[in-house]
Amino acid sequence: MYSEKFEQSGDTLISTPTVCLGCYNCCGVKVQTVNDKVVDVIGDKAAINSRGYICAKGRARFLDLYDPTRLLYPMKRGNPEKGIGVDPEWERITWDEAFDTIIPKLKAVREKDPRGLVIAHFDLPGYGISKTFGAAFETNNFHWNRADYCGAAPHWAHLMTNASFNGELDFDECKFMVLWGTQLGHLAETIPLHTAAEMAEARRQGTKLVVIDPFCTNPAAKADQWIPIKPGTDGAMALAMLNYMVNDLGIYDRDFLIRRTNSIYLIKPDGHYLRDAKTNKPMVWDQKAGAAKPFNAEDIQEPALEGAFDIAGVTYQTAFNALKVHLKQFDMESASAFTTVPVDIMQALTKEFVEAAQIGATIEVDGQQLPFRPAAIHFKRGSGAHKGGALGSFSIHLLNIMVGNLDVPGGQRGVNPIGPFWEPDVDEDGMIVVAQHIAKYSKPYPAQKAKIPESLDLHELLPASLFTRGLYPMGIDDPEKFGLTYKPEVLLIGRTNPMMNSHNADAMAETLKKFDLQISFATFIDETAEFADILLPDAHDFERWDLFPANDPYAFIAPGPGQWYWHMRQPSLEAPGETRAWTEVYIDIADRLGLLEKFNELGEAGWGISEKHTLDRSKRHTVKEIAERQAKTLIGDDFTFEDVKDTSCLITREKTTAEAYPGSFVKGRMPVYLEHLIDAGEDLKSVIDELGMEWDFRPYNPLIQHIRCDEHDHAEGDDYDLLIVNFKVPFQTQTISQQNIWLDEVSRANPYTFNVMMHPSAAARKGLKDGDRVLVQSHHGQDEGNLKVTEIIHPECLGIPATLGHWARNLHVAAKKGTSFNTLLPTPDVNRIDTLSGQIDTCVRVKVTKLSGGRSHG
Amino acid sequence: MAKYGMIVDIKKCIGCNACTIACKVEHNTPNEMHYTQVLEYEEGEFPNSKRTFLPALCNHCENPPCVPVCPTKASYTREDGIVLIDHDRCIGCGACILACPYDQRARVEDDRTVFHDGKTVFVNNANAAPPKGVAAKCDFCYHRVDHGDVPACVETCPTTARIFGEWDGAEKPLRELAAKYEAKGLLPEKGTEPNVLYIE
Repeated sequence: MYSEKFEQSGDTLISTPTVCLGCYNCCGVKVQTVNDKVVDVIGDKAAINSRGYICAKGRARFLDLYDPTRLLYPMKRGNPEKGIGVDPEWERITWDEAFDTIIPKLKAVREKDPRGLVIAHFDLPGYGISKTFGAAFETNNFHWNRADYCGAAPHWAHLMTNASFNGELDFDECKFMVLWGTQLGHLAETIPLHTAAEMAEARRQGTKLVVIDPFCTNPAAKADQWIPIKPGTDGAMALAMLNYMVNDLGIYDRDFLIRRTNSIYLIKPDGHYLRDAKTNKPMVWDQKAGAAKPFNAEDIQEPALEGAFDIAGVTYQTAFNALKVHLKQFDMESASAFTTVPVDIMQALTKEFVEAAQIGATIEVDGQQLPFRPAAIHFKRGSGAHKGGALGSFSIHLLNIMVGNLDVPGGQRGVNPIGPFWEPDVDEDGMIVVAQHIAKYSKPYPAQKAKIPESLDLHELLPASLFTRGLYPMGIDDPEKFGLTYKPEVLLIGRTNPMMNSHNADAMAETLKKFDLQISFATFIDETAEFADILLPDAHDFERWDLFPANDPYAFIAPGPGQWYWHMRQPSLEAPGETRAWTEVYIDIADRLGLLEKFNELGEAGWGISEKHTLDRSKRHTVKEIAERQAKTLIGDDFTFEDVKDTSCLITREKTTAEAYPGSFVKGRMPVYLEHLIDAGEDLKSVIDELGMEWDFRPYNPLIQHIRCDEHDHAEGDDYDLLIVNFKVPFQTQTISQQNIWLDEVSRANPYTFNVMMHPSAAARKGLKDGDRVLVQSHHGQDEGNLKVTEIIHPECLGIPATLGHWARNLHVAAKKGTSFNTLLPTPDVNRIDTLSGQIDTCVRVKVTKLSGGRSHG
Repeated sequence: MAKYGMIVDIKKCIGCNACTIACKVEHNTPNEMHYTQVLEYEEGEFPNSKRTFLPALCNHCENPPCVPVCPTKASYTREDGIVLIDHDRCIGCGACILACPYDQRARVEDDRTVFHDGKTVFVNNANAAPPKGVAAKCDFCYHRVDHGDVPACVETCPTTARIFGEWDGAEKPLRELAAKYEAKGLLPEKGTEPNVLYIE
């Protein structure tokens, strides 16, 4: 409400379009300033992924710029002792003094073994800078963050099938949506403003929404049907549904399975593909010819989807046949006993899903007949963050695959598997391989060669995964155990808070203490920054440039029909005090280490800069200068910063039909039978034996299993009788928003944010009542909480939302608000991870007891 | 004269509170004061329990109980139906706050946005805060409406759960939408005839 005083003042309101970094997404916003002070942040109507809308976090976060506890100057630690609650006794220093400590240590590490440097952050647009810096420094230990607590397993399933990092739904055409352990479309997942708008409209237009979740989350509140499930049993429910679908109902998309999957490949008795002696290609059975032929033979008339065939006295069955037989063991009754979901609900859901999918239907798009499958399931962390997470996710996704809805109108879709300058590959076996542009880390398929680890994230021991960033603490704590020949020495960290976002804080404290020197970039001195030796004041994203585009297309351009658009992040303010954008400081450090030329050379290759716009490799370029060259390469030679004066969103062109609906256009097949895991497992076994370690090889099986989490089972009379379950709330994000006084107000008023949730039956059993102050103890850690007794949680669970429960000395607003889910989790070990994807198991049992005092929020 | 109203689509609201913060910034309301918030209710027993989001704001009633009780005539209804408080006339007596059956008015005890240290004040260089000592509430963003814009909460809502307009406007009249989805007002027994209606 612009005041009369303002209107009469003659002051100018300046509106700077940029990209919000209030979470990992990239929503177009306009930062409004008067006399270099922000007065508001509004949605950018020209930005396709936000359409002029903005979420509570995006609108509120400019207040952080003016929070009196913001770090404005470099600091050094005065107290050599490190620990939770220990006063670091900060002493203000100059940037030069900070570099006097940092540079000699980095030089020494680089001479000794550059892998002693670990880089950690979760600032996605900055990956291009830190990765290049890491490569120039020659460390392979970069990008430690909590990604493995979130998406290592579900991303795995999408990469293997959609050839895409993320999944989504065709909101325009889909008539039956299932959200399985996720909150897509409810401001807590990818491209949130686009998906929120689309999903709400779809629901208004009559699309049915089913949500499977132990807690009645925001989407479950909006759903036509909420199906509460016991945590970590999702894969078991999916396998029972698959069995019912395939073996009882007998409904599946045969045409899709034949064309787009390895269902028709013949399997030898040892589990491997039957291969052609000449070409080594997997073979299929041509029913017309009555003979096996290489899958790519042009004269195949009628490939067999099902059945077993005798060739020279040996029986070979199709991959689909093997799966179909394998599924028979997953009966509904056993699944119901385990998942707590009634048989009739699982059966009805399966029926409704296959019927709504309209197998066989087509739709005309731009003059082409495409399959039309208006039913789809989306899954994410909730169903994936378990010991058998990758296969659990894949089991759910097989329901999509069986109805042939991947990347076709109405169905489940990957986020842009085909783009203007990338497309999936097809390997020698005819299988789909995600484009390099999307999988910037390891590709889950084909599997890598396992070897004794050289990296602290131990990814060499997970050869069929995408990233294993959550395993850094295992490598840092005990490098020798994994055959690592060096020790971590320097931690360069910022914009990630492992003390709060990973597992038990006491254990993480010991991990951080392993470093000789911790350099933390910080806007606020959070729980991890409290362990720093040197603190460097970081600029806010409203004060910095970023590499272009700020919305990396692997996840941040809306999939489906539409346009290709690219965002420029640009500052609206000068960085205050002595704050500097961490990305610029990395370049400064590269320069001071004498690595600038190498940094520029590697950068040019990784940043997608055309020859025409090359850098002066001997010069220290700013991020803005690099971004300008990237934009000239991507948008066109005539790009100038005038082009991003009114909107940060630059549109290049409309998507083609193949880009919008890749399902009918990509050539590679997706697996229903994970043949590659046989060899990957055997290869890995030799390395594990060499290390003399225990390992869970159950996931390395071509036929999907359900693997129970360690703490699923509960002995009668054991006090630790509730499984904790975590979910996001739409007005808090990660560990970075709780200090905001406006978001704090909203959170305090809400019944399901700063409380822990328990069903009345569990509360009665424990003699607890609504509003009690309680102690929540797992076998690994504990925290306090305010109890909310509620009917909207599974009776076997304790609901602990978001990433809350701060304790850092300076975070006065955030401190002691809510309960920390993560501190109840154990340090990862081989029994607590998915040994296929590296996903961390979050199934933990707790006991809850009454403390004195207390009052619940909301 | 055309009369304004709002329809809140309960089916679309996802409880994200983007409206709450948009309103907070737009009106520069002090700590703990909100002109709109999303209330939450739960009902029923597990597993058939339900959770409902209810965006709440001043209902800009046709028969506003807050207006006749105001001793200084600070509370009034504009010709276009927007119920406002003239902060120059308001003496903060609280009569309207007691009269509102929707609990949508509050007294401004402190007109500042103060950080947690109790000292640092956030001063917004453009947006005026309600003055200390008066009653304050949702004003349908009349300053925006007078410029042809919609209220801040409406513009912000990521799911377009709030629809603002003229009941009988030429384009997309609200009355048709209200009829189509059988819109209802809150607390009909109070006879307030609210201009904020809800559809499901």
